[in-house]
Amino acid sequence: MLLFQQLVSSLMLGSVYVSVAIAFTLTIGILNFLNFTIPTLFMLAAVVGWALSYWGLPFGLSGALAWPLALAVGVAMSLLVSLLVERMTFRVMKMRFGDSTEHAIPLVSSLGFLLIIENLVRIAYGSDAQRFAGPDVELTANIGGILVRVPQLVNLIVIAVVVMGLAWMLRYSRIGRGLRAIAENPDAANILGVDTKVIVPIVFMLSGAFAGIAGAAFAVNYGEVSPQMGEDIGSKAIAGMVIGGLGSIWGAVIGGLLVALIEIMTIHFFGADTIQIAVWGSLLVLLLVRPQGLLGHNAIGKGKL
Amino acid sequence: MSGYWAGILSILAVNIIFAYAIFIPVATGQLNLGGAGFQAIGAYTAAFLSASVGLSVTFTLLAATIMAGIAGGALAFPILRTRGVYLILATFAFAEVVAGVILNSETLGGAMGMSVPGYVEWYVPCILAGAVTVFVFYLMATRFGLNMRAIHDDDVVSDLMGVNVRMTKVIAFAIGAALAGLAGGLYAHTFTYVEVQGFNAMVSIYVLLYVLLGGTQTAWGPIVGASFFTLLPEFLRAFLPKLQVWVLGVLGQDAATVQPPDESWRFVLLGVITVLMMAFRPEGFVTRDLVDRFSWRSRRLRTPDGAKS
Amino acid sequence: MTPLLEIRNVSKNFDALKVIDDVSFSVPANGRTALIGPNGAGKTTIFNLISGFYDVSSGVVLLDGMDITKVPSRKRAALGQARSFQNIRLMPHLSVVENVMLGQQSRADGLKQALLPLRASHLRAEAEAQLESMNIRVHPDDVVSSLPYGIRKQIEVVRALASKPRLLLLDEPAAGLNPAETAALVEFLRKISDSGVTLLVVEHDMSLVRSLCDHAVVLNFGRKIYDGATAHVHEDPQVLEAYLGPGHAGKAGLAGAVA
Repeated sequence: MLLFQQLVSSLMLGSVYVSVAIAFTLTIGILNFLNFTIPTLFMLAAVVGWALSYWGLPFGLSGALAWPLALAVGVAMSLLVSLLVERMTFRVMKMRFGDSTEHAIPLVSSLGFLLIIENLVRIAYGSDAQRFAGPDVELTANIGGILVRVPQLVNLIVIAVVVMGLAWMLRYSRIGRGLRAIAENPDAANILGVDTKVIVPIVFMLSGAFAGIAGAAFAVNYGEVSPQMGEDIGSKAIAGMVIGGLGSIWGAVIGGLLVALIEIMTIHFFGADTIQIAVWGSLLVLLLVRPQGLLGHNAIGKGKL
Repeated sequence: MSGYWAGILSILAVNIIFAYAIFIPVATGQLNLGGAGFQAIGAYTAAFLSASVGLSVTFTLLAATIMAGIAGGALAFPILRTRGVYLILATFAFAEVVAGVILNSETLGGAMGMSVPGYVEWYVPCILAGAVTVFVFYLMATRFGLNMRAIHDDDVVSDLMGVNVRMTKVIAFAIGAALAGLAGGLYAHTFTYVEVQGFNAMVSIYVLLYVLLGGTQTAWGPIVGASFFTLLPEFLRAFLPKLQVWVLGVLGQDAATVQPPDESWRFVLLGVITVLMMAFRPEGFVTRDLVDRFSWRSRRLRTPDGAKS
Repeated sequence: MTPLLEIRNVSKNFDALKVIDDVSFSVPANGRTALIGPNGAGKTTIFNLISGFYDVSSGVVLLDGMDITKVPSRKRAALGQARSFQNIRLMPHLSVVENVMLGQQSRADGLKQALLPLRASHLRAEAEAQLESMNIRVHPDDVVSSLPYGIRKQIEVVRALASKPRLLLLDEPAAGLNPAETAALVEFLRKISDSGVTLLVVEHDMSLVRSLCDHAVVLNFGRKIYDGATAHVHEDPQVLEAYLGPGHAGKAGLAGAVA
């Protein structure tokens, strides 16, 4: 029974990793851009949600907002900041000459944004963790003899729905086809009439939304927000994405869940201090043995003559 | 020399060595986002050998360099089959594993850290930083350095020219890791205390940014980047409160009642500089053109563009 | 006399797509051979197979009688072949002389050369002399990315020559050059040929092919359709059909159509 409870916890934690891993995998799979602002977008949704539900709108424009509304604004905020990042990183990057570290320029820029956003939040609200007063996380329902926490269940369903919605969209919608065309070959996609100026911001919006939803889910279920909350979750999500395979949505799902499982099981059997070794060790081994990940294809960074 | 300046010079020297450690692989076209991991290996090797074995500083530093170099070579050899973002992720994962191992090791003090008996005066890191600088300038001027830069520009064509791309990359990565180990060893002996929190992912990110912002086309870049970003916080520490008092004074407030500005502003500033540099000067501050302009060799005959017909 | 380069029954598939289909031809030593054909015929692919950038799917590549099919690309330069690229592939951040010195790499292996400062190396003097002798008006220390197109094109050839090759593969050397520049290029290439280097040239400019090469191999859709004297290439019905489409054979001269 305890083990079962652990499995449910890993599913909950895993769904947060999955959502953040998808945020990463969208930009890297479609744009070949490892976007390090995603952990801060995750954090931003949660912290803005907390601030609005605690203080209300800035300059005393309102009293404390109801927490669902506050979190919704938080997610919208992540989405907007993600678009801002697109404007200032991806769009302005044009190098005159080919260069093997060229792909790293947006990455480095996003590291800059990571520092900016995280530290601005720290300046505004301090470094301490804050309690997020959402719904009663202990509220349980009895489903077929198994006690399930209602907020966890709702979160799982929400994340499952958005992930499946994304998968459907990528496969069947016009935008989805455009996204996949760019992932295959940006130049050809341009010729085929896919407007990268429209599509690229969509990728960033989706990515920001997934990071934000994960942040909101985390705030509700773990009841705590802090400026550095994204660092740990973000790096675990990266690990999950790589384990699943770069650029694959289902890879991100499997990888995210797997990382959570490894994490919870490691805590269960060896204690919390060894998580780092277990998660990153398995990632490192995987990178050495099968760098394309479980579901990924190894097409990133191939040369042409 | 005052303790304050001795401390700053020591940190500066350690950071310059650390920056060169990252620069050498970057000049070969590989980003190392696990610098702190190699630095930690060096620091803990030195700390352990100094505390538990009682070796002299000369030997602990040597061992720190070699250990980190071996770890770098051992990591690079298999991982350099892959390119680009996989290498970045692998170096990042490596640093996390190193930190995790240290955290769980009782011999290395775990989360408590360990104190290092051997202490070095400020001039030791400074002399070594000078030596490392000379070494890197020499390396970049050799055919090996030429091959490194060629691989940075185009590894496919380098291969067709006969350059052993993989070996060059592995050696460059290992040299970089060894220098990071040296920087770590010096860190341990300068502060006589090491703890694993001092080698977290942010440290890797900062040093990579110093190098990229300083410029990776010439060996001048890292020294400029490391110096600027090591000295800037010291400057800001003095300057920001004054600026705040001045601003508040202009706004007609009494400065005495206000809190001093948050340390976090330094990192915001580093972030802003990073974003702006990547947008407007992605090749970093010191470029080859810039060096040429200040070089005594620069007064040369330039051909008019398109003169050849 | 054995040909310098021989391609024997070479095929290349990318997954299901057959790009080169059972092609055989040889390049006589000291000759000037052209490799021509419409776009997508597989000319650059042949170059990539010769230089080892691609592995052949089947068939054999012989250099001076030696089977080099399994020799890794890195080691082929040392065997005496060098190439230029369709789009200039000079190292943009290296100076002119450094690019040329990179071309010497296959002759400069070994620890001593690797650790000797470039300025102290006799190879630097050699590279500068080579640039001078080719009459390229650049300063050796100029960074390549700042130079005009035509000059970069020439530097790429000098870089290829720096390995002292017996066989020089040139991929569209005249692309993007004006007629005057092309004429200068032909002179330049003749000079190289006269010094004993065998040329294999992929080129679209038929006037250059006719004035430079004595021997031509024509590819179409990955197959060889002509192998013989350049002088008669425009009389071959298959070649005409490849360039002009079916039914046009005999109506118009190839020269007028593609020049």
